[in-house]
Amino acid sequence: MGRVLRYTLFLSRAYLRDRTALFFGFFFPLLFMGLFGVLDLGAFGTVSLGIVDEAGNADSAAFRAALGRIETLRLTEGSRTDELTSLGKGERDLVVVIPGDFRIAPAAAGSSVPVLTLYESEARPEQANVGSAIITQAVDQMSFAVSRTQPIVALRREAVQGRRLSYVDFLTPGIVGMTIMQLGVSSVMFGFVVDRQRGVIRRIMATPIPRRSYMAAHVLHRLVVAILQVLILIGVAVLAFDVRIVGSMAAVLLLALLGSVLFLCVGFAVTAFVATENAAPAVMQLVTLPQLFLSGVFFSRDVVPAFLRPISDYLPLTFLNDALRQVAIAGASLGDVRGDLVGIVVWTAITFAIAVRFFRLE
Amino acid sequence: MSGPIVSVRDLRKSYGAIEALAGVSFDVARGEIFALLGPNGAGKTTTVEILEGLRTADAGSAVVAGIDVRRDPSGVKERIGVQLQSSAFPENFLAREIVQLFGVFYGRRVDAMELLRSVGLEEKAGQRSEKLSGGQRQRLSIAVAMVNEPQVLFLDEPTTGLDPQARRNLWDLVRGIRARGTTVLLTTHYMDEAEALCDRVAIVDRGRVVALDAPRALVDGLLARGFTKTVVQQQADLEDVFLDLTGHALRDD
Repeated sequence: MGRVLRYTLFLSRAYLRDRTALFFGFFFPLLFMGLFGVLDLGAFGTVSLGIVDEAGNADSAAFRAALGRIETLRLTEGSRTDELTSLGKGERDLVVVIPGDFRIAPAAAGSSVPVLTLYESEARPEQANVGSAIITQAVDQMSFAVSRTQPIVALRREAVQGRRLSYVDFLTPGIVGMTIMQLGVSSVMFGFVVDRQRGVIRRIMATPIPRRSYMAAHVLHRLVVAILQVLILIGVAVLAFDVRIVGSMAAVLLLALLGSVLFLCVGFAVTAFVATENAAPAVMQLVTLPQLFLSGVFFSRDVVPAFLRPISDYLPLTFLNDALRQVAIAGASLGDVRGDLVGIVVWTAITFAIAVRFFRLE
Repeated sequence: MSGPIVSVRDLRKSYGAIEALAGVSFDVARGEIFALLGPNGAGKTTTVEILEGLRTADAGSAVVAGIDVRRDPSGVKERIGVQLQSSAFPENFLAREIVQLFGVFYGRRVDAMELLRSVGLEEKAGQRSEKLSGGQRQRLSIAVAMVNEPQVLFLDEPTTGLDPQARRNLWDLVRGIRARGTTVLLTTHYMDEAEALCDRVAIVDRGRVVALDAPRALVDGLLARGFTKTVVQQQADLEDVFLDLTGHALRDD
């Protein structure tokens, strides 16, 4: 055991000298987080509303002015054709058409009221919903003002969540999962393929150190690095991006550890079939790229098309990301994410079996 | 302690249809510098790697430092030092860390600086091993091979690819190691190396030992069989010119 620990120490010291590994291991994920954090891709932003004013009278001008006072709306005006084309292109979330007979006055009994037509974009349903709610509210207020009545029911809204869930909050567990995957697979693949090809392993096997001690040191070293990486990532997220880890930090770290074991096993299982340094990058992409996009690293898995769902649902990283996210942003306990834990354990067992069967040191 | 320190009997090894070793037998005496000499593919490396416990023979026996290699390969590994033909050290380690690391593999604490000094590398102790020159790397690998104070040192083509100065320096190193009591078994395909360095050589061809004796005795035997060649008495050769002009001092940095 002393031999394993001392070897682990040597490996970790050498790792600290490896600029490339440090860059991809530590700096790269931080870069990702910084970039996406600044972009704030998940932010709701504004609702872009196109107005087609076919009335062109004082009342329609007053209505437009009322909408213009609402901060969330970004207004544009144009002809019906232009605005609907823009809507089709996704440049508008909503287009409202003010009819020619528009006026703000009580309708005579029995006569029809002017009808506002609302076109909603299906591309950004959330924005369209919010926009139409705002417009409905504006119309209601106008109606009450004209009919000089009070609303029958008043609605008072209170914010329940102390702070808005920002995109970085959502992103952080995804980046942690991604980093664990990348490090697990690449550190095994590049480390062992290179050392195997250059004869490093053969030279070490000419000493009396048992294979299991050699393997134990390499696995231990990689687990230590993975946990350090996760701590640094979360540290930066909390300090620099004001991310809040809602659930237990111990649960997050335990998940990170299980995830690291899983992806080291994936690494060994895959490396068993990689003979040369040249093949490694391609295989690496083949294994990690689908999970990068289908396992909810940067975006919610809601955007995954239906036909890819069956795959997305069972990818190793999906289980890890889901569990990390549930704990980190929804405050779930390990018991709440037991389904994901089962997924992680099953994948670990499968890849471990493949690794034991096919992975060779020489 | 008497008797051979390495004893090889009828070693056989095939890779598929290719017969690499077709019955190799020889003994190495304690304190000898012994060479396996032969063209590429003759079976030198296969023989040595079986003795080092890195490969298993199909048939035959090999005893190294009193231990049967097949029965206790790790026991043999404890008692020998090796330099492999095509191997490398892990990257991002300093030269002295490489020596210490191999000490860890043998479960020993070693004086890395002393070992590096013994191969003339004390000034390179703080350099990464991958930054060393070819000759320096060979010397580092000899220092590493000596961390467990081995009874037998195996060197597989130690001077291939080195310049004349580095070769001569390595020969001196090997002589020094033998002088301190370690038996040396090396492979080479350089005749001058075998002649200058070795007490006895076994000439290996097509997986068999075809001759085994002291270099001088082999030459005498050939002459006794009536061999002649046109002798041009040369007082010096091109290598002498080269060394005269460039000196004997090492310059691999």
